[in-house]
Amino acid sequence: MSRAPRVQQLAEWLIRAACRRLPADIRAERCREWTAELPAILGDESIRPPVRRAMRALSFCAGISRTTRQLDRSARSGARRSRSSQWRTGAPAAQSPHVAVRALLGFLIWLVVVFGVIALVRVLPHASGWPLGVIVALGIGFDAFCLADIARAARVRHLPKWAWVLICLIQTPAGGIIYLSIGRIARPRPAPPGGQAP
Amino acid sequence: MKLTGPLERVLRVLTADPSAPHYGYDLMKAAKLPSGTLYPMLARLEQDGLVGSEWEAQREDAAGRPPRKYYRLTAEGLRVARLELAQAASRSPARQAGYGTARPTRGSTARPAPGSTR
Repeated sequence: MSRAPRVQQLAEWLIRAACRRLPADIRAERCREWTAELPAILGDESIRPPVRRAMRALSFCAGISRTTRQLDRSARSGARRSRSSQWRTGAPAAQSPHVAVRALLGFLIWLVVVFGVIALVRVLPHASGWPLGVIVALGIGFDAFCLADIARAARVRHLPKWAWVLICLIQTPAGGIIYLSIGRIARPRPAPPGGQAP
Repeated sequence: MKLTGPLERVLRVLTADPSAPHYGYDLMKAAKLPSGTLYPMLARLEQDGLVGSEWEAQREDAAGRPPRKYYRLTAEGLRVARLELAQAASRSPARQAGYGTARPTRGSTARPAPGSTR
């Protein structure tokens, strides 16, 4: 039967994906440790129908995912205490305003964008197609900017990265604005190589 | 160290035979804990030096099975674990007598019995 190896492959893939959160120096060892547990689970005769063994292996992977998230969090809080975090290499991050202030700011920007577009469409003659083309191009560019920002961010706030990607894609101006105002974590620009004279 | 229900169960399994090494799934089954609870706990115990780990040597008869990582209490860990378990037992003698689901009364220092929160 080809189900067992396939479940094992899926489980190994899930564990590898979870291990990507870990710091590089312990990643490979942890990954080896957890994938080595899979044969014991999938070959556990005390769990009777084989389907339940497969379920057990997958729930094991879910637990591993929770574990790596927790290990990552505790490693990060340790790094923050020792001030050796990656984001600390540049200028210190600006204190970002309260989430309500940022949400309000995002909403105002959204209002300006939407009414600006409506006004633009009304003012310009309908016959020419170019305003629509420009708006669509701006929308695509904005989406691309947001997605690139999510991809490059080490962390985002409140939601997992994939959820922010979905939000940005589903509603073009609003989703991206919500991400930038609420989900994005302000990060300092990397320090210029020469250093600026004060 | 704060002795929570899951931690107490892991320590009971580990102190039952301190010289026996346990791999992760073995501990999960013996302590009836999900992997998402067990492994962060083991990582914390290992960081505190209470639990040590070692890789299984690759054996010929192990039919392609990858080597496992085994966990075991350190000498310090065994001392701390026995102390904590003895303290837990003296805190709530009812639990030792088998009243596993006894609820702690308000204001008492007893903790909920392991498993009563699930």
